[in-house]
Amino acid sequence: MSGGSHAPSMTDAHAKPRTGISKWLFTTDHKLIGVMYVWLGFFFFAVGGLFALLLRTQLASPGLHVLKPEVYNQLMSLHGTFMIFFFTIPILAGLGNYIVPIQIGARDMAFPRVNAISFWLLIPAGLMMISSMFLQGGAAAGGWTSYPPLSDRQYSPGPGVDLWILGLHLAGLSSILGAINFVVTVTNLRAPGMTLWKIPMFCWAVFITQCIILFATPVLAGALTMLLTDRMFGTAFFLPSAGGDPVLWQHLFWFYSHPAVYIMVLPGMGMISQVLPVFASKRLFGYKGLVISTAGIGVIGFLVWGHHMFSTGIDPSLRFFFSLASMVIAVPTGVKIWSWIATIWGGSIRLRTPMLYAVGFIALFVIGGATGVWLALVPFDVQVHDTYFVVAHLHYVLFGGSLMAIFAGLYYWFPKISGRLYNEKLGQLHFWFTFIGMNLTFMPMHFMGILGMPRRIYTYQAQYASWNHVATLGSYVLGVGMLLFFVNMLWSLWKGPRATADPWEHIEATKTLEWTVTSPPPAENFATLPIIR
Amino acid sequence: MTFATLRLRHGLMAAAVAVALVAAGPAWAWYLDPVTPVAHEVRTLFFKALALTGGFFILAEVLVLVAVLRFRARPGVPPATFHENVRLEILWTAIPAITLVILAGPTFTTLKYMETVPKSDLTVEVIGHQWFWEYRYPEHGVVFANEPLVVPQGKIIAADVSSIDVVHSWFVADFGVKMDANPGRVNHTWFEVERTGTFRGQCAELCGVLHGDMHIEVRVVTPEEFDRWIEQKKRGA
Repeated sequence: MSGGSHAPSMTDAHAKPRTGISKWLFTTDHKLIGVMYVWLGFFFFAVGGLFALLLRTQLASPGLHVLKPEVYNQLMSLHGTFMIFFFTIPILAGLGNYIVPIQIGARDMAFPRVNAISFWLLIPAGLMMISSMFLQGGAAAGGWTSYPPLSDRQYSPGPGVDLWILGLHLAGLSSILGAINFVVTVTNLRAPGMTLWKIPMFCWAVFITQCIILFATPVLAGALTMLLTDRMFGTAFFLPSAGGDPVLWQHLFWFYSHPAVYIMVLPGMGMISQVLPVFASKRLFGYKGLVISTAGIGVIGFLVWGHHMFSTGIDPSLRFFFSLASMVIAVPTGVKIWSWIATIWGGSIRLRTPMLYAVGFIALFVIGGATGVWLALVPFDVQVHDTYFVVAHLHYVLFGGSLMAIFAGLYYWFPKISGRLYNEKLGQLHFWFTFIGMNLTFMPMHFMGILGMPRRIYTYQAQYASWNHVATLGSYVLGVGMLLFFVNMLWSLWKGPRATADPWEHIEATKTLEWTVTSPPPAENFATLPIIR
Repeated sequence: MTFATLRLRHGLMAAAVAVALVAAGPAWAWYLDPVTPVAHEVRTLFFKALALTGGFFILAEVLVLVAVLRFRARPGVPPATFHENVRLEILWTAIPAITLVILAGPTFTTLKYMETVPKSDLTVEVIGHQWFWEYRYPEHGVVFANEPLVVPQGKIIAADVSSIDVVHSWFVADFGVKMDANPGRVNHTWFEVERTGTFRGQCAELCGVLHGDMHIEVRVVTPEEFDRWIEQKKRGA
């Protein structure tokens, strides 16, 4: 079924329009929920970013005492946890929430109340994380990976890890409910005539991402539950002294957490596939190839988790398998890169802020992709595993990839969502601060790692000092850039000029449905459902 | 691509990396001056990977830059309209795939080489503690902690790595050795250091508050000096 043009209204809250705070608290409108996801995401982005600046300040020179070692470990753990579970995943869910139903010509998500629950679960989840910092023993300090036995009660006795587990449980539940909602929405609520090969690339990317969430996140939930019962009820899944095995946790954790990389980057790739054609005034190149390669990444992504465990002593033939699978995943990723280049090749490029971010995404993601191939090679991986080389690699993928894409998408849809235009000059300035600061911060980390500097250390030996000075300087450049971003967004929300329905002047071939309705779109998006030809 | 051009690319790439990394770090680093056979192999594989992937990387970055500089919107110049080319798409799927198959070969042989512990001249047991290392020489009945590990030059050392509490990782970058120390398991690795000297490393798996202070020092001495040292240790000096 793909929704007739007389589909009944799906939200029940609009009979008496609510105002003020209750408009947000009780809403089931996918657009308002999407906006709340974005706000929540940027709150945690700001907090996680401040933590990162503190960490870099501690690491500016060897032997500094800005942070105590235990505080360093807590902030480092929360930085990773916030950026992954409370910024990247929710903000992508938020933009998906806002844009996907409109792009497929629907009035809302399939289950609007479930949608609201998905969002509101994140509030107690985030509060648990934040409050753990102020309790005895502080927040979880075992990294976002929380390997036992370090995360077991014996070595982390305080409530920090318990709150971390329960917070992630709620965030995971939010993700799973959201995933069901997205999968059903894209499957069943497409406008008449929108066949599979007419679904916009961003919606395909979100759909495939949500399928990954549906298969991967329950495994994380299971592993977290096992860790919790180990801590609370005396089980010993991961406790070697009672016959358990800490390496089992690593398998279960990475079975979720490698696909999680794709959960964080595929929707961004969908945004890039949307933004590049718009600002090159040219149709997306190789649409079917992009859909197939996205699905391919989704599947192969489940077969590569072992490359996080090459130095744990797992069987060599297993290591070789994971090595091959991790190399193979570079092929569909490459297909995307070449297709994007072919998309802008010969176009009429307008270098507005979203386009700068989209092109910056390609330039940086290629670096993360290349180092990713090297890390698939077991012997080289063993050499640099758990060093700053991996920190560099993952930030080129998640900062150079996901975050650049999030900015591309956010600037692109800002006029649609807010009904106002942002300041273009400030946007471009923000891009240059981000692009330069990003490379200053993370490029030197490749060198530190190759030299042998381990990650997650609160201080380091003098031979790594020079590159660390550069990285800390770069992080401050990034900090200034992000200030420009927040100023631009807040000012423009308040005082920006009004946006028309299509401020980007799309050509017909790149104009998705959200640009056919007003900015912001009316309640329930479409008076009559569009027919796709 | 002929073997000679591959060799040339390999060499050029290695030279470029060497220049970049000399600027980056001290002359003793493993990629310039490997001190164990494994580190030699890892370096060779790294340079092969650079040579094989470097071309794609440079091509992608150059094409992006050229596209952005060349195809800016100009009045009166309409954008191109092509949006698919099956032959091109097959090509850019197949060529990287073949390249990766080529790269898988040396990966496998190097992995096998690292993995197979040869008949050893000396066994040391490496045991991680929060936050120091304990070393045992079972063949000599010597046990100590919080001191440098001492091994003879040019001998094959088998290291049995484990932990008493949380997961640690014994990592000496110069040797190309990193092995997780898991409680309840013993992992096996090996190294043979080609020259004498003091080599430093540190724990590479987050293991609690003082993870950053869990240093490793390995003193590599001549076999004669090692014999004297181990005799002294046995007498409890």
